[in-house]
Amino acid sequence: MKTLVGQIELETKLFLREKESLFWTLAFPIFMIVLFGLIWKDEMFGTIPAINYILSGIIVMAVMITCLVNTAMGIVEDREKGLFRRLSLTPLKRQTLIGGQLVNRYLIVLAQTAILIAIGVTFFGASVSGNGLLFWAVLTIGALCFLTLGFALTGLIKSEKAAHPVSMIVFFALMFLGGCFFPIEEMPEFLHPVCEALPAIHLNDALRMIAVEEAGIGTVWQELPVMLGWLVGCSILAVKFFKWE
Amino acid sequence: MNAVVEVKNLTKRYDNLRAVDNVSFDIGKGEIFGLLGPNGAGKTTTVEMIEGLRKPDSGLIEVGGIDISDGIDRVKEIIGVQLQTTTIYDKIRVGEAIDLFGSYYRRSLPTEEILGEVSLNDKKNSFVEALSGGQKQRLAMALALVNDPEVLFLDEPTTGLDPQARRNVWDIIERLRGRGKTIILTTHYMEEAERLCDRVGVMDYGRIIALDTPGNLIAQQNLESAVEFTTSNGVDKEFFHKLPKVSKVTQNGDRFILHTREASSVLAQLTQLSGENGLNLESISVRKATLEDVFLELTGRQLRE
Repeated sequence: MKTLVGQIELETKLFLREKESLFWTLAFPIFMIVLFGLIWKDEMFGTIPAINYILSGIIVMAVMITCLVNTAMGIVEDREKGLFRRLSLTPLKRQTLIGGQLVNRYLIVLAQTAILIAIGVTFFGASVSGNGLLFWAVLTIGALCFLTLGFALTGLIKSEKAAHPVSMIVFFALMFLGGCFFPIEEMPEFLHPVCEALPAIHLNDALRMIAVEEAGIGTVWQELPVMLGWLVGCSILAVKFFKWE
Repeated sequence: MNAVVEVKNLTKRYDNLRAVDNVSFDIGKGEIFGLLGPNGAGKTTTVEMIEGLRKPDSGLIEVGGIDISDGIDRVKEIIGVQLQTTTIYDKIRVGEAIDLFGSYYRRSLPTEEILGEVSLNDKKNSFVEALSGGQKQRLAMALALVNDPEVLFLDEPTTGLDPQARRNVWDIIERLRGRGKTIILTTHYMEEAERLCDRVGVMDYGRIIALDTPGNLIAQQNLESAVEFTTSNGVDKEFFHKLPKVSKVTQNGDRFILHTREASSVLAQLTQLSGENGLNLESISVRKATLEDVFLELTGRQLRE
Protein backbone atom coordinates (compact mmCIF):
# COMPACT_ATOMS: atom_id res chain seq x y z
CA MET A 1 0.00 0.00 0.00
CA LYS A 2 2.83 2.36 0.88
CA THR A 3 4.46 1.68 -2.48
CA LEU A 4 1.15 2.21 -4.29
CA VAL A 5 0.84 5.67 -2.75
CA GLY A 6 4.46 6.25 -3.74
CA GLN A 7 3.75 5.23 -7.33
CA ILE A 8 0.70 7.52 -7.49
CA GLU A 9 2.81 10.41 -6.22
CA LEU A 10 5.49 9.57 -8.76
CA GLU A 11 3.06 9.39 -11.69
CA THR A 12 1.44 12.66 -10.64
CA LYS A 13 4.80 14.38 -10.36
CA LEU A 14 5.88 13.10 -13.76
CA PHE A 15 2.56 14.19 -15.28
CA LEU A 16 2.85 17.72 -13.91
CA ARG A 17 6.42 18.01 -15.21
CA GLU A 18 5.62 16.88 -18.74
CA LYS A 19 4.54 19.96 -20.67
CA GLU A 20 3.15 18.01 -23.58
CA SER A 21 0.80 15.88 -21.49
CA LEU A 22 -0.25 18.95 -19.52
CA PHE A 23 -1.10 20.71 -22.77
CA TRP A 24 -3.19 17.88 -24.21
CA THR A 25 -4.97 16.91 -21.02
CA LEU A 26 -5.65 20.36 -19.59
CA ALA A 27 -4.82 23.32 -21.84
CA PHE A 28 -6.30 21.84 -25.01
CA PRO A 29 -9.73 20.88 -23.59
CA ILE A 30 -9.94 24.26 -21.85
CA PHE A 31 -9.11 25.99 -25.12
CA MET A 32 -11.84 23.97 -26.82
CA ILE A 33 -14.53 24.78 -24.28
CA VAL A 34 -13.65 28.47 -24.44
CA LEU A 35 -13.62 28.43 -28.24
CA PHE A 36 -16.93 26.60 -28.64
CA GLY A 37 -18.38 28.53 -25.73
CA LEU A 38 -17.68 31.79 -27.53
CA ILE A 39 -18.95 30.54 -30.88
CA TRP A 40 -22.15 28.87 -29.70
CA LYS A 41 -22.91 30.79 -26.55
CA ASP A 42 -26.60 31.38 -27.28
CA GLU A 43 -27.25 28.71 -29.91
CA MET A 44 -29.41 25.66 -29.54
CA PHE A 45 -28.64 22.11 -30.70
CA GLY A 46 -32.18 20.89 -31.29
CA THR A 47 -33.84 21.17 -27.91
CA ILE A 48 -30.76 21.71 -25.76
CA PRO A 49 -28.44 24.72 -25.50
CA ALA A 50 -25.32 24.14 -27.60
CA ILE A 51 -23.00 24.79 -24.65
CA ASN A 52 -24.59 21.93 -22.70
CA TYR A 53 -24.10 19.63 -25.64
CA ILE A 54 -20.51 20.67 -26.25
CA LEU A 55 -19.52 20.59 -22.57
CA SER A 56 -20.11 16.86 -22.25
CA GLY A 57 -18.49 16.30 -25.66
CA ILE A 58 -15.33 18.02 -24.51
CA ILE A 59 -15.35 16.14 -21.21
CA VAL A 60 -15.52 12.87 -23.14
CA MET A 61 -12.74 14.06 -25.45
CA ALA A 62 -10.59 14.95 -22.46
CA VAL A 63 -11.27 11.60 -20.80
CA MET A 64 -10.22 9.83 -23.99
CA ILE A 65 -7.00 11.85 -24.27
CA THR A 66 -6.06 10.99 -20.70
CA CYS A 67 -7.20 7.39 -20.56
CA LEU A 68 -6.69 6.19 -24.09
CA VAL A 69 -4.06 8.28 -25.90
CA ASN A 70 -1.79 9.02 -22.94
CA THR A 71 -2.02 5.50 -21.57
CA ALA A 72 -1.26 3.82 -24.87
CA MET A 73 1.60 6.18 -25.71
CA GLY A 74 3.00 6.30 -22.17
CA ILE A 75 3.00 2.53 -21.67
CA VAL A 76 4.54 1.80 -25.06
CA GLU A 77 7.24 4.41 -24.44
CA ASP A 78 8.09 3.00 -21.00
CA ARG A 79 8.08 -0.52 -22.39
CA GLU A 80 10.25 0.23 -25.42
CA LYS A 81 12.71 2.26 -23.35
CA GLY A 82 13.23 -0.80 -21.16
CA LEU A 83 11.83 0.82 -18.05
CA PHE A 84 9.51 -2.09 -17.22
CA ARG A 85 12.43 -4.43 -17.66
CA ARG A 86 14.53 -2.48 -15.20
CA LEU A 87 11.69 -2.25 -12.70
CA SER A 88 11.04 -5.99 -12.96
CA LEU A 89 14.47 -6.50 -11.35
CA THR A 90 13.29 -4.70 -8.22
CA PRO A 91 10.74 -6.07 -5.75
CA LEU A 92 8.15 -3.58 -7.10
CA LYS A 93 5.04 -5.56 -8.00
CA ARG A 94 3.59 -5.19 -11.46
CA GLN A 95 0.13 -4.63 -9.99
CA THR A 96 1.51 -1.69 -8.02
CA LEU A 97 3.18 -0.21 -11.07
CA ILE A 98 0.00 -0.46 -13.15
CA GLY A 99 -2.19 0.52 -10.19
CA GLY A 100 -0.24 3.74 -9.76
CA GLN A 101 -0.82 4.64 -13.40
CA LEU A 102 -4.53 3.82 -13.26
CA VAL A 103 -5.16 5.88 -10.14
CA ASN A 104 -3.09 8.76 -11.50
CA ARG A 105 -5.09 8.88 -14.73
CA TYR A 106 -8.36 8.60 -12.90
CA LEU A 107 -7.40 11.57 -10.72
CA ILE A 108 -6.57 13.54 -13.87
CA VAL A 109 -10.01 12.66 -15.28
CA LEU A 110 -11.69 14.00 -12.16
CA ALA A 111 -9.60 17.19 -12.32
CA GLN A 112 -10.30 17.71 -16.03
CA THR A 113 -14.01 17.22 -15.57
CA ALA A 114 -14.22 19.56 -12.59
CA ILE A 115 -12.29 22.29 -14.41
CA LEU A 116 -14.32 21.97 -17.64
CA ILE A 117 -17.63 22.06 -15.77
CA ALA A 118 -16.49 25.06 -13.73
CA ILE A 119 -15.53 26.98 -16.87
CA GLY A 120 -18.67 25.97 -18.77
CA VAL A 121 -20.98 26.97 -15.95
CA THR A 122 -19.18 30.14 -14.86
CA PHE A 123 -18.43 31.73 -18.21
CA PHE A 124 -20.83 30.23 -20.74
CA GLY A 125 -23.99 29.55 -18.80
CA ALA A 126 -23.89 25.79 -19.09
CA SER A 127 -26.39 24.15 -16.78
CA VAL A 128 -25.30 21.08 -14.92
CA SER A 129 -28.02 19.66 -12.79
CA GLY A 130 -29.14 16.10 -12.16
CA ASN A 131 -27.72 13.46 -9.87
CA GLY A 132 -24.05 14.25 -9.18
CA LEU A 133 -23.35 10.78 -7.84
CA LEU A 134 -24.78 9.15 -10.95
CA PHE A 135 -22.77 11.55 -13.14
CA TRP A 136 -19.62 10.55 -11.27
CA ALA A 137 -20.42 6.82 -11.52
CA VAL A 138 -21.02 7.01 -15.28
CA LEU A 139 -17.88 9.09 -15.76
CA THR A 140 -15.93 6.45 -13.84
CA ILE A 141 -17.26 3.63 -16.01
CA GLY A 142 -16.35 5.65 -19.10
CA ALA A 143 -12.84 6.34 -17.77
CA LEU A 144 -12.29 2.64 -17.01
CA CYS A 145 -13.60 1.71 -20.42
CA PHE A 146 -11.07 3.96 -22.20
CA LEU A 147 -8.27 3.01 -19.80
CA THR A 148 -8.68 -0.68 -20.58
CA LEU A 149 -8.91 0.18 -24.28
CA GLY A 150 -5.63 2.09 -23.94
CA PHE A 151 -3.98 -0.88 -22.23
CA ALA A 152 -5.36 -3.31 -24.81
CA LEU A 153 -3.98 -1.11 -27.62
CA THR A 154 -0.45 -1.32 -26.17
CA GLY A 155 -0.53 -5.04 -26.88
CA LEU A 156 -1.20 -4.33 -30.57
CA ILE A 157 1.34 -1.54 -30.91
CA LYS A 158 4.73 -3.01 -31.69
CA SER A 159 6.95 0.05 -31.55
CA GLU A 160 7.21 3.48 -30.03
CA LYS A 161 6.94 4.96 -33.51
CA ALA A 162 3.55 3.34 -34.07
CA ALA A 163 2.14 4.39 -30.70
CA HIS A 164 1.28 7.94 -31.75
CA PRO A 165 -0.53 7.25 -35.05
CA VAL A 166 -2.40 4.19 -33.78
CA SER A 167 -3.71 5.84 -30.64
CA MET A 168 -4.56 9.02 -32.57
CA ILE A 169 -6.57 7.13 -35.20
CA VAL A 170 -8.55 5.31 -32.53
CA PHE A 171 -9.04 8.56 -30.63
CA PHE A 172 -10.28 10.55 -33.65
CA ALA A 173 -12.56 7.74 -34.75
CA LEU A 174 -14.13 7.53 -31.31
CA MET A 175 -14.40 11.31 -31.04
CA PHE A 176 -16.11 11.92 -34.37
CA LEU A 177 -18.25 8.80 -34.33
CA GLY A 178 -19.04 9.42 -30.68
CA GLY A 179 -21.08 12.59 -30.94
CA CYS A 180 -18.59 14.76 -29.09
CA PHE A 181 -19.05 17.83 -31.31
CA PHE A 182 -22.18 17.16 -33.34
CA PRO A 183 -25.11 14.77 -33.03
CA ILE A 184 -24.56 11.50 -34.83
CA GLU A 185 -27.96 11.96 -36.48
CA GLU A 186 -26.17 14.39 -38.80
CA MET A 187 -23.95 11.57 -40.01
CA PRO A 188 -24.80 9.32 -42.97
CA GLU A 189 -27.34 6.65 -42.07
CA PHE A 190 -25.02 3.69 -42.61
CA LEU A 191 -22.65 4.94 -39.93
CA HIS A 192 -25.24 4.96 -37.17
CA PRO A 193 -24.85 1.28 -36.20
CA VAL A 194 -21.08 1.76 -36.06
CA CYS A 195 -21.50 4.78 -33.78
CA GLU A 196 -23.90 2.89 -31.57
CA ALA A 197 -21.47 0.00 -31.20
CA LEU A 198 -18.70 2.28 -29.95
CA PRO A 199 -18.49 3.39 -26.33
CA ALA A 200 -18.01 7.15 -26.78
CA ILE A 201 -21.56 7.98 -27.92
CA HIS A 202 -23.01 6.16 -24.92
CA LEU A 203 -20.81 8.03 -22.46
CA ASN A 204 -21.79 11.30 -24.16
CA ASP A 205 -25.50 10.46 -24.14
CA ALA A 206 -25.42 9.27 -20.54
CA LEU A 207 -23.63 12.37 -19.28
CA ARG A 208 -26.00 14.66 -21.22
CA MET A 209 -29.07 12.81 -19.97
CA ILE A 210 -27.93 13.25 -16.38
CA ALA A 211 -26.59 16.81 -16.59
CA VAL A 212 -29.21 18.33 -18.88
CA GLU A 213 -32.38 16.25 -18.54
CA GLU A 214 -31.81 15.25 -14.92
CA ALA A 215 -32.37 11.64 -15.93
CA GLY A 216 -32.06 8.95 -13.29
CA ILE A 217 -30.57 5.48 -13.42
CA GLY A 218 -33.95 4.26 -14.72
CA THR A 219 -33.24 5.67 -18.19
CA VAL A 220 -29.46 6.12 -18.05
CA TRP A 221 -28.84 2.39 -17.63
CA GLN A 222 -29.65 1.83 -21.31
CA GLU A 223 -26.34 3.49 -22.19
CA LEU A 224 -24.32 1.22 -19.92
CA PRO A 225 -24.32 -2.23 -21.62
CA VAL A 226 -22.17 -1.15 -24.58
CA MET A 227 -19.68 0.62 -22.30
CA LEU A 228 -19.53 -2.30 -19.90
CA GLY A 229 -19.14 -4.68 -22.83
CA TRP A 230 -16.13 -2.70 -24.05
CA LEU A 231 -14.78 -2.53 -20.51
CA VAL A 232 -14.94 -6.31 -20.07
CA GLY A 233 -13.74 -7.08 -23.60
CA CYS A 234 -10.81 -4.68 -23.42
CA SER A 235 -9.85 -5.95 -19.96
CA ILE A 236 -9.61 -9.46 -21.35
CA LEU A 237 -7.59 -8.28 -24.36
CA ALA A 238 -5.35 -6.15 -22.14
CA VAL A 239 -4.58 -9.04 -19.81
CA LYS A 240 -4.05 -11.39 -22.71
CA PHE A 241 -1.91 -9.22 -24.96
CA PHE A 242 -0.18 -6.86 -22.57
CA LYS A 243 3.59 -7.01 -23.06
CA TRP A 244 6.16 -6.07 -20.45
CA GLU A 245 9.04 -6.15 -22.91
CA MET B 1 34.94 -21.32 -1.10
CA ASN B 2 31.71 -19.90 0.20
CA ALA B 3 29.77 -19.46 -3.02
CA VAL B 4 27.37 -16.52 -3.25
CA VAL B 5 26.40 -17.40 -6.79
CA GLU B 6 26.28 -20.96 -8.07
CA VAL B 7 25.55 -21.75 -11.70
CA LYS B 8 25.33 -25.33 -12.90
CA ASN B 9 24.87 -26.60 -16.45
CA LEU B 10 23.04 -23.50 -17.57
CA THR B 11 21.66 -23.74 -21.10
CA LYS B 12 19.53 -21.39 -23.18
CA ARG B 13 18.53 -21.93 -26.79
CA TYR B 14 17.11 -19.45 -29.24
CA ASP B 15 15.66 -21.45 -32.08
CA ASN B 16 18.55 -23.71 -33.02
CA LEU B 17 21.24 -21.49 -31.61
CA ARG B 18 22.66 -22.40 -28.22
CA ALA B 19 23.11 -18.91 -26.83
CA VAL B 20 24.36 -20.35 -23.55
CA ASP B 21 25.68 -23.88 -23.66
CA ASN B 22 26.12 -25.87 -20.45
CA VAL B 23 27.77 -23.10 -18.45
CA SER B 24 28.84 -23.69 -14.84
CA PHE B 25 30.73 -21.52 -12.36
CA ASP B 26 30.75 -20.44 -8.72
CA ILE B 27 31.39 -16.97 -7.41
CA GLY B 28 32.79 -16.47 -3.92
CA LYS B 29 31.90 -13.74 -1.47
CA GLY B 30 33.72 -10.50 -2.17
CA GLU B 31 34.90 -11.68 -5.54
CA ILE B 32 34.79 -9.66 -8.73
CA PHE B 33 33.98 -12.17 -11.40
CA GLY B 34 34.21 -11.22 -15.04
CA LEU B 35 32.61 -12.74 -18.08
CA LEU B 36 34.73 -11.75 -21.03
CA GLY B 37 33.94 -12.41 -24.63
CA PRO B 38 32.98 -10.86 -27.94
CA ASN B 39 29.50 -9.53 -28.66
CA GLY B 40 27.08 -12.39 -28.98
CA ALA B 41 29.17 -14.79 -26.92
CA GLY B 42 26.34 -15.29 -24.44
CA LYS B 43 27.59 -13.11 -21.57
CA THR B 44 24.47 -10.98 -21.28
CA THR B 45 22.13 -13.95 -21.68
CA THR B 46 24.02 -15.71 -18.88
CA VAL B 47 23.79 -12.84 -16.41
CA GLU B 48 20.18 -12.12 -17.35
CA MET B 49 19.28 -15.68 -16.44
CA ILE B 50 21.01 -15.28 -13.07
CA GLU B 51 19.13 -12.01 -12.52
CA GLY B 52 15.85 -13.76 -13.26
CA LEU B 53 15.12 -11.75 -16.43
CA ARG B 54 15.23 -14.79 -18.69
CA LYS B 55 14.25 -18.35 -17.99
CA PRO B 56 16.95 -20.94 -18.65
CA ASP B 57 16.00 -24.02 -20.68
CA SER B 58 17.89 -26.10 -18.18
CA GLY B 59 20.37 -25.75 -15.37
CA LEU B 60 20.46 -24.61 -11.77
CA ILE B 61 21.05 -21.11 -10.43
CA GLU B 62 21.47 -20.24 -6.78
CA VAL B 63 22.03 -16.72 -5.52
CA GLY B 64 22.77 -16.24 -1.82
CA GLY B 65 21.82 -19.87 -1.31
CA ILE B 66 18.37 -19.32 -2.85
CA ASP B 67 17.30 -21.30 -5.91
CA ILE B 68 16.02 -18.58 -8.22
CA SER B 69 13.46 -20.85 -9.86
CA ASP B 70 11.35 -20.73 -6.69
CA GLY B 71 12.73 -17.80 -4.72
CA ILE B 72 13.07 -14.98 -7.23
CA ASP B 73 11.25 -12.52 -4.96
CA ARG B 74 13.77 -13.11 -2.17
CA VAL B 75 16.64 -12.92 -4.65
CA LYS B 76 15.43 -9.53 -5.92
CA GLU B 77 15.93 -8.11 -2.42
CA ILE B 78 19.61 -9.05 -2.33
CA ILE B 79 20.79 -8.29 -5.86
CA GLY B 80 21.48 -5.03 -7.63
CA VAL B 81 21.50 -4.87 -11.40
CA GLN B 82 22.85 -2.45 -13.92
CA LEU B 83 21.61 -3.41 -17.36
CA GLN B 84 23.48 -2.66 -20.54
CA THR B 85 21.12 0.22 -21.16
CA THR B 86 19.14 1.57 -18.29
CA THR B 87 16.45 4.10 -18.90
CA ILE B 88 14.62 5.74 -16.13
CA TYR B 89 12.01 8.49 -16.31
CA ASP B 90 13.41 11.65 -17.98
CA LYS B 91 11.61 14.06 -15.73
CA ILE B 92 12.85 12.74 -12.44
CA ARG B 93 15.68 14.19 -10.39
CA VAL B 94 18.70 12.05 -9.53
CA GLY B 95 17.96 12.16 -5.80
CA GLU B 96 14.29 11.33 -6.39
CA ALA B 97 15.19 8.35 -8.56
CA ILE B 98 17.40 6.93 -5.81
CA ASP B 99 14.71 7.56 -3.18
CA LEU B 100 12.14 5.90 -5.45
CA PHE B 101 14.16 2.76 -6.06
CA GLY B 102 15.05 2.64 -2.38
CA SER B 103 11.34 2.60 -1.55
CA TYR B 104 10.93 -0.66 -3.48
CA TYR B 105 13.19 -2.59 -1.11
CA ARG B 106 12.69 -3.66 2.48
CA ARG B 107 16.08 -2.29 3.31
CA SER B 108 17.82 0.58 1.57
CA LEU B 109 20.83 2.79 2.09
CA PRO B 110 20.53 6.56 2.68
CA THR B 111 20.38 8.52 -0.58
CA GLU B 112 23.37 10.71 0.35
CA GLU B 113 25.53 7.64 0.88
CA ILE B 114 24.59 6.22 -2.53
CA LEU B 115 25.24 9.56 -4.23
CA GLY B 116 28.67 9.65 -2.62
CA GLU B 117 29.40 6.11 -3.71
CA VAL B 118 28.99 7.02 -7.38
CA SER B 119 30.20 10.64 -7.07
CA LEU B 120 26.94 12.23 -8.10
CA ASN B 121 26.46 14.42 -4.99
CA ASP B 122 26.42 17.62 -7.02
CA LYS B 123 23.83 16.20 -9.44
CA LYS B 124 21.27 15.34 -6.79
CA ASN B 125 18.76 17.91 -8.06
CA SER B 126 19.45 17.51 -11.77
CA PHE B 127 16.88 15.92 -14.02
CA VAL B 128 17.90 12.59 -15.52
CA GLU B 129 17.45 13.98 -19.03
CA ALA B 130 20.16 16.56 -18.33
CA LEU B 131 22.85 14.01 -17.40
CA SER B 132 25.76 13.07 -19.63
CA GLY B 133 26.25 9.47 -20.76
CA GLY B 134 28.80 8.80 -18.05
CA GLN B 135 26.60 10.35 -15.38
CA LYS B 136 23.63 8.27 -16.51
CA GLN B 137 25.76 5.17 -16.24
CA ARG B 138 26.77 6.15 -12.71
CA LEU B 139 23.13 6.76 -11.85
CA ALA B 140 22.37 3.26 -13.16
CA MET B 141 25.05 1.97 -10.77
CA ALA B 142 23.54 4.00 -7.96
CA LEU B 143 20.13 2.45 -8.59
CA ALA B 144 21.76 -0.98 -8.51
CA LEU B 145 23.29 -0.14 -5.12
CA VAL B 146 20.26 1.29 -3.28
CA ASN B 147 19.51 -1.97 -1.44
CA ASP B 148 23.16 -2.55 -0.49
CA PRO B 149 23.02 -5.77 -2.54
CA GLU B 150 24.96 -8.91 -1.73
CA VAL B 151 25.59 -9.43 -5.41
CA LEU B 152 25.98 -6.60 -7.90
CA PHE B 153 25.56 -7.24 -11.62
CA LEU B 154 27.24 -4.85 -14.04
CA ASP B 155 26.52 -5.59 -17.67
CA GLU B 156 29.11 -3.88 -19.85
CA PRO B 157 29.33 -0.92 -17.49
CA THR B 158 31.71 1.11 -19.65
CA THR B 159 30.57 0.30 -23.17
CA GLY B 160 30.08 3.52 -25.10
CA LEU B 161 31.77 5.72 -22.51
CA ASP B 162 34.66 8.05 -23.23
CA PRO B 163 38.01 7.24 -21.54
CA GLN B 164 37.50 9.70 -18.70
CA ALA B 165 34.01 8.39 -17.90
CA ARG B 166 35.34 4.84 -18.14
CA ARG B 167 38.02 5.58 -15.57
CA ASN B 168 35.39 7.07 -13.26
CA VAL B 169 33.37 3.87 -13.47
CA TRP B 170 36.50 1.80 -12.82
CA ASP B 171 37.24 3.91 -9.75
CA ILE B 172 33.76 3.24 -8.42
CA ILE B 173 34.11 -0.50 -8.99
CA GLU B 174 37.48 -0.52 -7.25
CA ARG B 175 35.97 1.34 -4.32
CA LEU B 176 33.23 -1.29 -4.13
CA ARG B 177 35.85 -4.01 -4.23
CA GLY B 178 37.48 -2.34 -1.22
CA ARG B 179 34.17 -2.66 0.61
CA GLY B 180 34.00 -6.37 -0.13
CA LYS B 181 31.11 -6.36 -2.62
CA THR B 182 30.56 -9.43 -4.77
CA ILE B 183 30.35 -8.28 -8.37
CA ILE B 184 29.60 -10.01 -11.65
CA LEU B 185 30.79 -7.99 -14.55
CA THR B 186 30.50 -8.61 -18.26
CA THR B 187 32.75 -6.84 -20.67
CA HIS B 188 34.34 -7.13 -24.05
CA TYR B 189 37.25 -4.94 -22.98
CA MET B 190 40.06 -7.21 -21.93
CA GLU B 191 41.92 -4.46 -20.13
CA GLU B 192 38.82 -3.83 -18.06
CA ALA B 193 38.62 -7.51 -17.10
CA GLU B 194 42.34 -7.61 -16.39
CA ARG B 195 42.27 -4.55 -14.22
CA LEU B 196 39.10 -5.24 -12.25
CA CYS B 197 38.44 -8.94 -12.06
CA ASP B 198 39.70 -11.46 -9.55
CA ARG B 199 38.67 -14.25 -11.88
CA VAL B 200 37.59 -14.23 -15.49
CA GLY B 201 35.45 -16.66 -17.44
CA VAL B 202 36.24 -16.36 -21.13
CA MET B 203 33.11 -16.97 -23.19
CA ASP B 204 32.80 -17.82 -26.85
CA TYR B 205 29.81 -19.25 -28.71
CA GLY B 206 27.86 -19.73 -25.49
CA ARG B 207 30.54 -21.69 -23.67
CA ILE B 208 33.08 -20.83 -21.03
CA ILE B 209 36.32 -21.83 -22.68
CA ALA B 210 38.66 -20.80 -19.86
CA LEU B 211 38.18 -19.71 -16.28
CA ASP B 212 40.89 -18.47 -13.95
CA THR B 213 42.57 -15.36 -12.59
CA PRO B 214 43.76 -13.03 -15.35
CA GLY B 215 47.37 -13.70 -14.32
CA ASN B 216 46.95 -17.48 -14.50
CA LEU B 217 45.12 -17.32 -17.80
CA ILE B 218 48.04 -15.47 -19.30
CA ALA B 219 50.67 -17.67 -17.62
CA GLN B 220 48.95 -20.91 -18.66
CA GLN B 221 49.12 -19.99 -22.28
CA ASN B 222 52.84 -19.35 -21.98
CA LEU B 223 52.36 -15.92 -23.45
CA GLU B 224 54.50 -13.82 -21.19
CA SER B 225 55.23 -11.01 -23.65
CA ALA B 226 54.24 -10.20 -27.16
CA VAL B 227 56.32 -8.66 -29.92
CA GLU B 228 53.97 -7.25 -32.52
CA PHE B 229 54.74 -5.93 -35.96
CA THR B 230 53.46 -5.65 -39.48
CA THR B 231 55.30 -6.79 -42.55
CA SER B 232 54.06 -6.66 -46.09
CA ASN B 233 56.70 -8.96 -47.53
CA GLY B 234 54.35 -11.88 -47.77
CA VAL B 235 56.07 -14.21 -45.34
CA ASP B 236 53.97 -16.62 -43.31
CA LYS B 237 54.15 -17.40 -39.66
CA GLU B 238 56.33 -20.48 -40.09
CA PHE B 239 59.11 -18.09 -41.03
CA PHE B 240 59.18 -16.64 -37.51
CA HIS B 241 58.99 -20.01 -35.81
CA LYS B 242 62.67 -20.39 -36.66
CA LEU B 243 63.54 -17.83 -34.01
CA PRO B 244 64.64 -19.40 -30.73
CA LYS B 245 62.71 -18.46 -27.56
CA VAL B 246 59.52 -17.77 -29.52
CA SER B 247 56.80 -19.93 -28.00
CA LYS B 248 54.00 -19.05 -30.37
CA VAL B 249 53.35 -17.06 -33.47
CA THR B 250 49.98 -15.69 -34.36
CA GLN B 251 49.22 -14.12 -37.68
CA ASN B 252 46.37 -11.89 -38.65
CA GLY B 253 46.90 -10.79 -42.23
CA ASP B 254 50.14 -8.83 -42.31
CA ARG B 255 50.16 -8.46 -38.56
CA PHE B 256 52.27 -10.89 -36.55
CA ILE B 257 52.52 -11.49 -32.83
CA LEU B 258 55.50 -13.39 -31.43
CA HIS B 259 54.90 -14.68 -27.94
CA THR B 260 57.94 -15.11 -25.78
CA ARG B 261 59.33 -15.03 -22.30
CA GLU B 262 62.41 -13.13 -23.49
CA ALA B 263 61.24 -10.16 -25.49
CA SER B 264 64.57 -8.35 -25.75
CA SER B 265 66.39 -11.38 -27.15
CA VAL B 266 63.61 -12.02 -29.65
CA LEU B 267 63.63 -8.40 -30.69
CA ALA B 268 67.37 -8.52 -31.38
CA GLN B 269 67.04 -11.69 -33.42
CA LEU B 270 64.10 -10.30 -35.28
CA THR B 271 66.08 -7.25 -36.31
CA GLN B 272 68.90 -9.46 -37.50
CA LEU B 273 66.59 -11.81 -39.38
CA SER B 274 64.78 -9.01 -41.12
CA GLY B 275 68.09 -7.44 -42.14
CA GLU B 276 69.33 -10.71 -43.65
CA ASN B 277 66.11 -11.33 -45.52
CA GLY B 278 65.31 -7.79 -46.48
CA LEU B 279 62.04 -7.74 -44.57
CA ASN B 280 60.37 -4.45 -43.97
CA LEU B 281 59.04 -4.43 -40.40
CA GLU B 282 56.59 -1.72 -39.43
CA SER B 283 54.78 -0.61 -36.29
CA ILE B 284 56.87 -2.77 -34.00
CA SER B 285 55.74 -2.86 -30.41
CA VAL B 286 56.61 -4.95 -27.40
CA ARG B 287 54.11 -5.47 -24.65
CA LYS B 288 53.13 -7.79 -21.87
CA ALA B 289 50.72 -10.46 -23.02
CA THR B 290 47.11 -9.63 -22.23
CA LEU B 291 43.81 -11.40 -22.05
CA GLU B 292 43.35 -10.32 -25.64
CA ASP B 293 46.20 -12.66 -26.57
CA VAL B 294 44.69 -15.39 -24.44
CA PHE B 295 41.43 -14.99 -26.29
CA LEU B 296 43.16 -15.02 -29.65
CA GLU B 297 45.07 -18.12 -28.59
CA LEU B 298 41.96 -19.91 -27.40
CA THR B 299 39.69 -19.05 -30.28
CA GLY B 300 41.92 -18.00 -33.13
CA ARG B 301 39.96 -14.78 -33.35
CA GLN B 302 40.32 -11.33 -31.95
CA LEU B 303 37.97 -10.14 -29.27
CA ARG B 304 36.73 -7.12 -31.15
CA GLU B 305 36.41 -8.56 -34.60
